[in-house]
Amino acid sequence: MALLKERLLDLYYKMVLIREFEEVMDIYAKNGTIPGFVHLGIGQEASQAGIVDALKETDYKYPDHRGHGVSILCGTDRKLVMAEIFGKGTGINGGRGGSMHINDIKVRNMGFNGIQGSTTVTALGTAFASVYKGNKDVSVIFMGDGTLGEGACHESINMAATWKLPVLYCVINNQYAISTHYRESHPQKQLATWADGYGVPNEVVDGNDVEAVVEATERAVERARNGDGPTLIEYMTYRWQGHFAGDPAAYRPDEELQEWKNKCPVKRTKARLLDVHGFPEKILSDIEKKVVDEVQSMLKFCLESPEPDTKEALKHVYAGFGEEI
Amino acid sequence: MSMRKISFGKAINEALHQEMERDDSVFIIGEDVAKMGGDFGVTRGIWQKWPDRAKDTALSESAIIGLASGAAVCGLRPVAELMFADFIGVAFDQLVNNAAKLRYMFNGEVSCPMVVRAPTGSGIRTAYHHSQSVEPWFMNVPGLVIVAPSTPYEAKGLLIASIRNEDPVIFLEHKSFYSIKGDVPEESYEVELFKAEVKREGRDVTIVATMSMVALAEKAAEKLAEEGISVEIIDPRTLFPLDKDTINRSVAKTGRLVIAQEGPKVMGFGAEIAAMVVEDVFEYLKAPVKRVTTMDVPIPFSPVLEDYVVPTDVDITEACKAVVEF
Ligand SMILES: Cc1ncc(C[n+]2csc(CCOP(=O)(O)OP(=O)(O)O)c2C)c(N)n1
Ligand SMILES: [Mg+2]
Repeated sequence: MALLKERLLDLYYKMVLIREFEEVMDIYAKNGTIPGFVHLGIGQEASQAGIVDALKETDYKYPDHRGHGVSILCGTDRKLVMAEIFGKGTGINGGRGGSMHINDIKVRNMGFNGIQGSTTVTALGTAFASVYKGNKDVSVIFMGDGTLGEGACHESINMAATWKLPVLYCVINNQYAISTHYRESHPQKQLATWADGYGVPNEVVDGNDVEAVVEATERAVERARNGDGPTLIEYMTYRWQGHFAGDPAAYRPDEELQEWKNKCPVKRTKARLLDVHGFPEKILSDIEKKVVDEVQSMLKFCLESPEPDTKEALKHVYAGFGEEI
Repeated sequence: MSMRKISFGKAINEALHQEMERDDSVFIIGEDVAKMGGDFGVTRGIWQKWPDRAKDTALSESAIIGLASGAAVCGLRPVAELMFADFIGVAFDQLVNNAAKLRYMFNGEVSCPMVVRAPTGSGIRTAYHHSQSVEPWFMNVPGLVIVAPSTPYEAKGLLIASIRNEDPVIFLEHKSFYSIKGDVPEESYEVELFKAEVKREGRDVTIVATMSMVALAEKAAEKLAEEGISVEIIDPRTLFPLDKDTINRSVAKTGRLVIAQEGPKVMGFGAEIAAMVVEDVFEYLKAPVKRVTTMDVPIPFSPVLEDYVVPTDVDITEACKAVVEF
């Protein structure tokens, strides 16, 4: 069942937005303006946009370290997300977190814990609270193929399955964990089957087909909301950049990258909008232009934003204490 | 010995190559350590020479450290890499409740000669989960050896000594050091474990400094020398078990102590040194002990914030002046 064409058009906008946002982040990471490590989601736009689109704002979202794309779609003012990546005082977390830690409780973006696998068990808590309080919010974990190696993942799925907690494990299989291919670090052919051992329903989805992503995610979210417990979905995709901006990614064959570039999720959606839904080219190119302007205006905001006030470093360690402990 | 200038990272790499060559029981294990040669490039070239003795793993720190300790009991000498020291949280049980206690649990009949290499400390703008100074997490665990080099020379010699040591070693590599160059002999050599080094001799005040703080202490000492204050700098190098004598003797001589460490002040490395000196050589102290440390907060991301919470050479200079003028 295909998505309504208006929804697909909106998803196209969101995917183009992620692409443009990340390309600009790539430039500013490589030229040294953005400090630290920046993990880009270029190539994975369909999975990122599609999953978020299947959720409600009140669902608990746990983006991973490659989480800019998810974080700009959760409802936070996007320029504040970008400002956080720049480490500016105007950032959503005042510059304390940076690219890896874009957290916004107001939209239930639960943020990323730099320790891989960690959010899989934290999410049990938000899922438990949903059940406890009798609401139907789902806890949705974005995680990489590599992250599935962490022991915490086993503890999480075991408990979620036993207690039928409303948890959704979104395994974004982009083939690699840094230099290590998933076939070299896991025995399963498809990681989705990992959930079989826990009796958790699972499926493999083409992670570059945004419609398939939305549909599979909606089915899983529905199950969770109905009290039928967790689901694991494996979204097959590929990251075009290295592990972080500037990583030459010498560990993978060029042909493989090229093969996946040919499966570009953005182009693919565009083709559907043009060929199947008959949108005129102009509507799509207007979206693309609008996105460029939108990202440029965020960028301007970031570049003009002040550095954080140093005293900000001392805030928010404890409730009820002043700046100095 | 033939000296040349190589980087801290290269010095560690060379130590690994030479120990792998010397002893068949040495192997490396960790995430991306084999084919790629490590996230910081420290294990380059090992897998190419010894494909069966260099293991890339899944993201599974508990399994990495657990496997290392089990293999060590069987006489192998694993050198495990944690990509960042902070990730030890995931494998804490294996290190603290297993590896550290094996000898004790088996009446001394079992050894666990393993090394866990762990990039530690702040300064590369990676925020609170990739910048912590983890040494005090382990200093409270008898059975572990904590090694913390501050030069390429020490990095090579201390790693070789650590691999040959019979007990589990946490080998801390300050991540701001990797590209810093220094004189390192080409040959294999050991720098003695459990032995502090007097980096600079002086009369008026002792600075005990670790890792990134050693260079800052040296800068402070130069500055203070211009003002007529003579500084002695001690780098413990093995943080635990500690070379108490070298520190106590120095403090008995100068009568004043400043400790410079990265990481929060509360219950840090400096707290132990201060307590030891007060217990052992109190009668020689002419002034209260001072600690220069990171502030008691998580490490923030923004360079402006990170630089604000981490100590500088000026902080060390001021602390020294304060104890001298007391
Ligand atoms: C506990 C822990 N171990 C290791 C790391 C370092 N690390 C960060 S991302 C990463 C690879 C993750 O691969 P995957 O889960 O497939 O996500 P991808 O980067 O491909 O999006 C590693 C090893 C970490 N942050 N935390
Ligand atoms: Mg991956």
